[in-house]
Amino acid sequence: MAKVNRRQFIKISSAFLASSAAASQVFDWPFQVKNAIAEEFLTADRIVPTTCEICFWRCGVDAHVRDEKVYKLTGQANHPLSNGRLCPRGNGGQGLLYDPNRLRHPLIRVTVNGKPQFRKTSWDEALTLIAERFQQITEQYGTESVAMFSHGFGASFFKTLFSAYGIRTFSAPSYAQCRGPRTEAFKLTYGHAVGSPEAIDVANSKYLVLLGSHLGENMHNTAVQDFSKAISRGCKVVVVDPRYSTAASKAEHWLPIKPGTDLALLRSWIHILINEKIYDVEFIENNATGLEELWEGVKDATPEKTYALTGIPVEQIVAVGRDLGRYGSSALIHPGRHVTWYGDDTQRERAIAILNALLGNYQMPGGLIQQEKYSSYKPKFPVARNAGQQFKSRYPFASSVPANEIVEQTISADPYPVKSWFVYGTNLIHSLGDQRATMEAIQNLDFMVAVDVLPAEITGYADVVLPECTYLERYDDLDNRTYRIPYLAIRQPAVAPLYDSKPGHEIARLLSMKMGLPDLFEADIETYLDKQLKEMGSSLSELKKSGVLKKEESDLYRKEGEMLRFKTPSGKIELASQRLKDAGFDAVPQYYPPPENPPGYFRMLYGRAPMHTFGRTANNRVLGELMPENELWVNEIAGHDMKLKHGEYVYLVNQDQVKSRTRIKVRLTQRIRPDAVYLVHGFGHTDPRMEFAFRRGVSDADLVTKLSVDPIMGGTGMNNNFVTFSRT
Amino acid sequence: MTEFITNKVNPAVLPHLEIWGSDVAIYLFLGGLSGGLLVISAAMVLLQNGGIFNKNRPRENYSGMVQVASLLAPVLLGIGMLFLFLDLEFKLHVWRFYTNFNITSPMSWGSWLLILFFPFSALQALVVFKNYYQRAPKFQQLAAVMESQLDKIAFINVHVGLAIGVYTGILLSTFYARPLWSSPALGFLFLFSGLSSAAALLLLFAPREEKTFFSKMDMYLIALEGFAATLFILGGMTGIETAKEAMLLLLVGPYAPWFWVLFVLGGLIVPLLLETFEAIGKIKFTPLVPLLILVGGLSLRFIIVFAGQSVPTFS
Amino acid sequence: MSRKKNYAMVIDTRACVGCSACVYACKSENSVPEGFCRDWIEQKIQGSFPNLTMELRSNRCQHCEDAPCVTYCPTGSSHYAGDGTVQIDRDLCTGCKACLAACPYDARYIHPIGYADKCSFCQHRLKKGLQPACVTTCPTDALHLVDLNSNDGIFENLLEDRKTTQDIVHAGTGPKLFWLQ
Ligand SMILES: Nc1nc2c(c(=O)[nH]1)N[C@H]1C(S)=C(S)[C@@H](COP(=O)(O)OP(=O)(O)OC[C@H]3O[C@@H](n4cnc5c(=O)[nH]c(N)nc54)[C@H](O)[C@@H]3O)O[C@H]1N2
Ligand SMILES: Nc1nc2c(c(=O)[nH]1)N[C@H]1C(S)=C(S)[C@@H](COP(=O)(O)OP(=O)(O)OC[C@H]3O[C@@H](n4cnc5c(=O)[nH]c(N)nc54)[C@H](O)[C@@H]3O)O[C@H]1N2
Ligand code: SF4
Ligand code: SF4
Ligand code: SF4
Ligand code: SF4
Ligand code: SF4
Ligand SMILES: [Mo]
Repeated sequence: MAKVNRRQFIKISSAFLASSAAASQVFDWPFQVKNAIAEEFLTADRIVPTTCEICFWRCGVDAHVRDEKVYKLTGQANHPLSNGRLCPRGNGGQGLLYDPNRLRHPLIRVTVNGKPQFRKTSWDEALTLIAERFQQITEQYGTESVAMFSHGFGASFFKTLFSAYGIRTFSAPSYAQCRGPRTEAFKLTYGHAVGSPEAIDVANSKYLVLLGSHLGENMHNTAVQDFSKAISRGCKVVVVDPRYSTAASKAEHWLPIKPGTDLALLRSWIHILINEKIYDVEFIENNATGLEELWEGVKDATPEKTYALTGIPVEQIVAVGRDLGRYGSSALIHPGRHVTWYGDDTQRERAIAILNALLGNYQMPGGLIQQEKYSSYKPKFPVARNAGQQFKSRYPFASSVPANEIVEQTISADPYPVKSWFVYGTNLIHSLGDQRATMEAIQNLDFMVAVDVLPAEITGYADVVLPECTYLERYDDLDNRTYRIPYLAIRQPAVAPLYDSKPGHEIARLLSMKMGLPDLFEADIETYLDKQLKEMGSSLSELKKSGVLKKEESDLYRKEGEMLRFKTPSGKIELASQRLKDAGFDAVPQYYPPPENPPGYFRMLYGRAPMHTFGRTANNRVLGELMPENELWVNEIAGHDMKLKHGEYVYLVNQDQVKSRTRIKVRLTQRIRPDAVYLVHGFGHTDPRMEFAFRRGVSDADLVTKLSVDPIMGGTGMNNNFVTFSRT
Repeated sequence: MTEFITNKVNPAVLPHLEIWGSDVAIYLFLGGLSGGLLVISAAMVLLQNGGIFNKNRPRENYSGMVQVASLLAPVLLGIGMLFLFLDLEFKLHVWRFYTNFNITSPMSWGSWLLILFFPFSALQALVVFKNYYQRAPKFQQLAAVMESQLDKIAFINVHVGLAIGVYTGILLSTFYARPLWSSPALGFLFLFSGLSSAAALLLLFAPREEKTFFSKMDMYLIALEGFAATLFILGGMTGIETAKEAMLLLLVGPYAPWFWVLFVLGGLIVPLLLETFEAIGKIKFTPLVPLLILVGGLSLRFIIVFAGQSVPTFS
Repeated sequence: MSRKKNYAMVIDTRACVGCSACVYACKSENSVPEGFCRDWIEQKIQGSFPNLTMELRSNRCQHCEDAPCVTYCPTGSSHYAGDGTVQIDRDLCTGCKACLAACPYDARYIHPIGYADKCSFCQHRLKKGLQPACVTTCPTDALHLVDLNSNDGIFENLLEDRKTTQDIVHAGTGPKLFWLQ
């Protein structure tokens, strides 16, 4: 029986002229040239040091303000994550602030003549409604029936609020759709995660192996700075990627691997290191367990066999394997970041962790390092005593809640119903894959709130939409993260919030009153921050001025003869994992081949472009100017076989016959294997309220109908989807 | 294989140079045409009775064609400059051409030349039309004074006219970065084209008895133009790789139909043949000939201006 | 008396990742209007799968020693600034576009107001002792502004052991962008 589409996506018609990249007609730039001879360069009335949020790296930016407008963003010289520099996206942050399509008012879903619509409303009405509905739902279904999804720094206030209210289900796509497998694999191996920013000493590496990690396109500012430092210092780079990435163009070896076979390659390198006894024997003897079991487990992973699986020539496998042995502790296998690829991701990451261990690079220059926090102080907030149930993952090693499990449970109501979502700063429609499941789950909800800055697709399904102001218009919590240079940084408003938008902390505070927790937050954010800063030996006025405080670079490296203790059950690095074995998994990573391409189909791979962050910048007029849409990379020869023309627009159709909603421009290139295609994630928006991004390019998420779920921790591998082309 | 990708956003140079359009083509044509008219009229003034070579003979009345040419020269140039003005991106600053002189810039030379053109061509016109304002004695006096200096004025005008004609070509040919334009023959090509267009225009207006004269003059000039065009093509084909590439665009590429049909056939060969037939009396004079020449001259400017921009910047 | 400067730029194509941060930084710094740019990225890929090379570079005006844009500018708007840079005096510019036609590097554009515009090496910043905006922001430190007349050794150090090329030298304009390979 067809389900009634109760939660119909709200379409708001728009008068966008979808022709050129020029958007001037709809968009008044700050300081658009109006006078006869334009002022070439402006001088700031004030420069406000704050923290970037165009991605989650959180560089320090200086916002240059003139006539109450931010006209320029530059890297904070003193901030350890920017070192005076910014990535392209950080440079174009004002495009978000002045995005003409920003959410301006709180919106409530109403039905007029049977059609769903948004109605502008007051904050008071919107927040009252949220508090009422949450109360009803939690009374009816229990507090655990409300789940919060978030991504981004500003979510902290809502987490505080909901924890105090008794909600315990928090999930972010940065876990099961991103770094989760890496986290669990390193925890299983070393007892701790790699962290973010990653605790790796790329800048000092002499030999760096990148699996996928497309640094230079993946544009985390400091990560790219370190990468280029390494190259300038003569580091040899090996890039394993089915596509000739930017990083590959800097590499000594580019290994265009058959997609999904990386684990086979890694096992082969482990094989070589042990077989030729070129691993760090002393380090392993002192600090690791399970070497014999490891050897037993990889014995069959000979270079010859590996060639057959990966397509990488034996000589290359051996050459890199031996180089690894030669460079030893100064070599690094980069752990990657977005690693949810094929569903075998935790095991692949385990192989990376093991390989690094064999190199003996643990806390050594160029290897895995130790990082520190600026301050251990953390403000305490009450957690509700009558809290709901803890969300229980089906996956034994999931240390966070896999977002897709919430989706599943919202559909199945098993073991208990999930009836309401609170979504902060994450566009679930584009980030979770398997859109059909996400939409179905949304149909099952009684109530959904979305807090966003833009009319992202997810907001179109919400009952209440709350317009947050952008990072340039607000305070957030202090950034006190673990990094090689311990630092403490502030986000503070450069200009006052535009329209009727509000900062998250204020929304959370106002909501806390409505939800019966009037004393939860300090009446004023500045007092709140100042109190914390006093505890950390500083003050708000100091940090407002300096933007960042930092300490000397911490002890990154281990000392000669230092005894290491790992937070694993054995206290050592676990080359073979008893815990995995006990849970029914391979103690030593074994290779299982990924599904093959159906005939006539190409494996769909995706990644990042330096000037965009996921879908959040697709509507940014500044950034969009140099890249208004994504393109489909197709191997030139394969493309000719398919009669594709360079520059033509095609629809994509996947293995489940799901067709992309929009069309994408074909780019015939030598830079990719013939069996795969590649596109940049974040395009193909279908909410017409995002006028610039609307229908530009294709969303890979449209075509990820198959999730290859990692049985160990619930990560959602998305690379086992295949596409072909359609002109109509 | 090479893939070259750039994210440069600059409509003036990408995907190819696009800075000058019809305005400039028309300006170049009118500039050449009026230069030609001035040269021919001034030369006729110098050559007629009372002119430098026939000083002892009394001055006759100025012929109708001298009058037409003397008048049209500054008028057409004025219209041409209007087109040039239309092309300026910063029209408010047009006067800046005349607060500076850059000795290395043909365009600067050109703009000053244009300034020379008007007073001297106007003076010449004033004299040759002296009979038209008998009732304005002041003018007549002035005309009389000027007439005594007419040889000098006409002498200057021949040179100014030649200079303008050459200038319209030099303007483009000095752009080393643009392979098609960058040819020393372009100056002559445009000069002879301008002269032959001017002769053709006069041929069009000339009374029957004078047609033979202008027709012969035109045949001669067309021959010179054809010669310059040949040099232009040969220079390109034997030049650097990009120049050759550019020339092929003209000879066999997208501009070939225009180049061969409108310019070579329509503007040179057919009129030359017809004029030959006219000269030997096989056919009557037909306005078709001058019209063909004028169209040919105009299309030459269009072809060169547009084709010159559609070739990649030399690299 | 201070020595006359002669600014040039050294660009490390090995470090550059072609990210365009330099382009965006330039646009905000110099109020470059939408639809135009003073600097840009070029990607040149050669070979065929899987034997490929790719060069990434951030390109801009070469501040030529013998600059045709200056030679052909009728009004003196385009001029040598005396510090090795080529600049445009907007007050003198007529928008005649002779300089656009003259530039072998296609480095100029016409500003919507009407004047020609291009990279200035951020002269206004240099005067304040600051580095150009693109140089400052580049995450890979690929861009280096140098003073060829200085004997601080920076230029020589950058070029040491590295193959250096220049673009379209046969145009004879004396370009001052040096590409480290
Ligand atoms: N500009 C920009 N930078 C970003 C982001 C952004 O949105 N924009 N997002 C940030 C975030 S949150 C993350 S998680 C990271 C993600 O950045 P990475 O961790 O670098 O992402 P990956 O998905 O590992 O990398 C995608 C690359 O993997 C290759 N690949 C695909 N399949 C395979 C395979 O089977 N084997 C191998 N060896 N390679 C394969 C693709 O061709 C592509 O080059 O980027 C961060 N940096
Ligand atoms: N198909 C596919 N799926 C993927 C990926 C992929 O490459 N392909 N990548 C995965 C990875 S690595 C990650 S980390 C995730 C990322 O997933 P998301 O975090 O969902 O990605 P974004 O598109 O950045 O969505 C962020 C949303 O936050 C909004 N936003 C931006 N700034 C603010 C703010 O200041 N306040 C508020 N309230 N909202 C804000 C944006 O408008 C946008 O709607 O996606 C994962 N999912
Ligand atoms: S990496 Fe770029 S987008 Fe991300 S925080 Fe830093 S400057 Fe901003
Ligand atoms: S900012 Fe630096 S790395 Fe990025 S494109 Fe420009 S020069 Fe290259
Ligand atoms: S590159 Fe072009 S604009 Fe720059 S100085 Fe040289 S000729 Fe002039
Ligand atoms: S456009 Fe301006 S700068 Fe360029 S040549 Fe003309 S007057 Fe000179
Ligand atoms: S030096 Fe200045 S003007 Fe030139 S490209 Fe860099 S930022 Fe732009
Ligand atoms: Mo991520």
